[in-house]
Amino acid sequence: MIAAGPRGGQRAGIPVGMLLLVLLPLILMPIAAVFVFALRGGLSELIKALSAEDALFALRFSLLIAFLTAGINAVLGTFAAYVLSKYRFPGERPLTIAVNLPVAIPTVVVGTSLLLLWGPIGLLGRALEPLGLQPMFTPVGVLLAHLFVTFPYMLGSVKPLLDDLESTYEEAAYTIGASRWQTFRWVILPALRGGLFSGTLLTFAHSLGEFGATVMVSGNLRLRTQTAPLYIFAQFEAGNVAQANAVAAVLAALSFVLFFYLLRFSTAPGARRKA
Amino acid sequence: MNVRLRDALPLVLGATLLLWTVWPWTPLARLTRSGPPPRTIVLYGFSILGEALDQAVLPEFARRWQAATGERVAFITSYAGSGTVTNQLLLGVPADLALLSLELDARRLADAGVIPAGSWLRLPFHGVVNRTPFVLLVRPGNPKGIHDFADLARPGIGVVHPDPLTSGGANWALLTEYGSAVRRLPQPASADAVEQAGYRSLLGVWRNVVAQAASARAARTQFENGFGDVLVTYEQDVLPSGKKKPGQDAPRWEIVYPPSTVLSEHTLVVVDRNITPEERPLIDALVRFLWSEPAQRLFVERGFRSIDERLNGANPHFGVIRDPFLVSDLGGWPAAKREIIERIWKGRVLPEIGK
Repeated sequence: MIAAGPRGGQRAGIPVGMLLLVLLPLILMPIAAVFVFALRGGLSELIKALSAEDALFALRFSLLIAFLTAGINAVLGTFAAYVLSKYRFPGERPLTIAVNLPVAIPTVVVGTSLLLLWGPIGLLGRALEPLGLQPMFTPVGVLLAHLFVTFPYMLGSVKPLLDDLESTYEEAAYTIGASRWQTFRWVILPALRGGLFSGTLLTFAHSLGEFGATVMVSGNLRLRTQTAPLYIFAQFEAGNVAQANAVAAVLAALSFVLFFYLLRFSTAPGARRKA
Repeated sequence: MNVRLRDALPLVLGATLLLWTVWPWTPLARLTRSGPPPRTIVLYGFSILGEALDQAVLPEFARRWQAATGERVAFITSYAGSGTVTNQLLLGVPADLALLSLELDARRLADAGVIPAGSWLRLPFHGVVNRTPFVLLVRPGNPKGIHDFADLARPGIGVVHPDPLTSGGANWALLTEYGSAVRRLPQPASADAVEQAGYRSLLGVWRNVVAQAASARAARTQFENGFGDVLVTYEQDVLPSGKKKPGQDAPRWEIVYPPSTVLSEHTLVVVDRNITPEERPLIDALVRFLWSEPAQRLFVERGFRSIDERLNGANPHFGVIRDPFLVSDLGGWPAAKREIIERIWKGRVLPEIGK
């Protein structure tokens, strides 16, 4: 008799049950609670809560920042991954560590240091002030914070693929007379598709939920710099739980879709390529 | 075909989302909007002001301004604990006006050079826009029998209190916890007896603090969510008037009016350095409007006590306080901060609790 392997059906009951038992209070019930509380007043109340001008703005603004962050960091992150993977230079290792640090630094600290750098009394901010430029407490400040906080995601998704990429393909391309750009465009980039896709989605998802750095640099102005997570926090603090949960439910639903595609794509790259 | 369709779906979803997101910023959306963009005023306020300003006072001003000049006015607002707002102003947020919970925060701004020293004193009523007394909020039926600040010191009472570091309301609460005890002393009392009475009262309350929130409003949310037996807070924030819409749950609390309590006074500051010459007439008009009778009536409707005593009869929910007092009765904010908050509360009470 052959015992059912890890993928077999019969014996999965016990470990899966145990996992569910652990995950229920830790992960699943809190997620469900968002939707339960958002829908407690009925669907019409949810729609009403979402059509409030400041709720709608907060969602739009968060998405806008997430699109911009994902777009910019997709390019910057890939560039950084390419340079760090293909070139050897003094200081390469400390630089690699430095660009990965944003994941480990508390986001509130990121916010404060951005303020101390770019703020009206900050190091760079003081120089910009006479020019009438003031990035902090504007959408630009929020974007700067998000770019910083999400930078490592693209790098982390793309660099391992680049490290594994056989240099023979590249060399072959050069031998048949391809330029550096052509080689990148036609040889390297196609190999990175999976990483680019998952890195961009991760960046997008993280930017959508960013709170700690944003709360410091945005000034939390409704209809101007208030992102969806800040809106949720402000409404919850003010005791408007239904308003807060309505926006939270939208964010949760968006993340669900994001990760649905992220998983589908990263688990079945072969299937994807055939299509 | 089917496979292609399934592959195209995320792209279509993403593109739709992107289009929806950027829509208001596209030239097309601009065309459908009529008239010139509204003029904007950026206003920061302490936590409990949100509804009164956003739903009543500011829209009324916008209506009057448009009737008089034809221009639309939009308000960009942000509300947090008074200390948090002050810190944001110190860091340079683009506020035109800020309504702070206490004069002390205005002084901090002046010390840092954000506003000219004492500039709020040149406004009507020394910059005080409205008031509200400090009350105790208890569970329905007052199961723990709380009637005064002294009852908060009893063992087994859980006190929810805003955090004096970030909340203006918490600083007022400290004053009232101190002052209500001091005012009960037979007069004349020696300086020593006064200090001892105030210290004992603060110590009693703070031994029983079970939760601290960043703002008075956040503390109320904590209390609503079931923490503690009693909350020390602004009367305005817990009055039924103009707050709950009909059909909403009745508040799950009861207000207790202590015999003696402080009336908080909320100070307006004008951040001149963020105001351009073109904006000046608009801002000045708003500042004047805040002290006008229509605005004061709206504040009263929303549970604030007007600086014009005659208007306060209009709100039937206001409770009776036998012995209300002001910060000036305790020697004004600088002295109260130095003596009561720094020396007694921070210097004596907190170390004693930490033991």
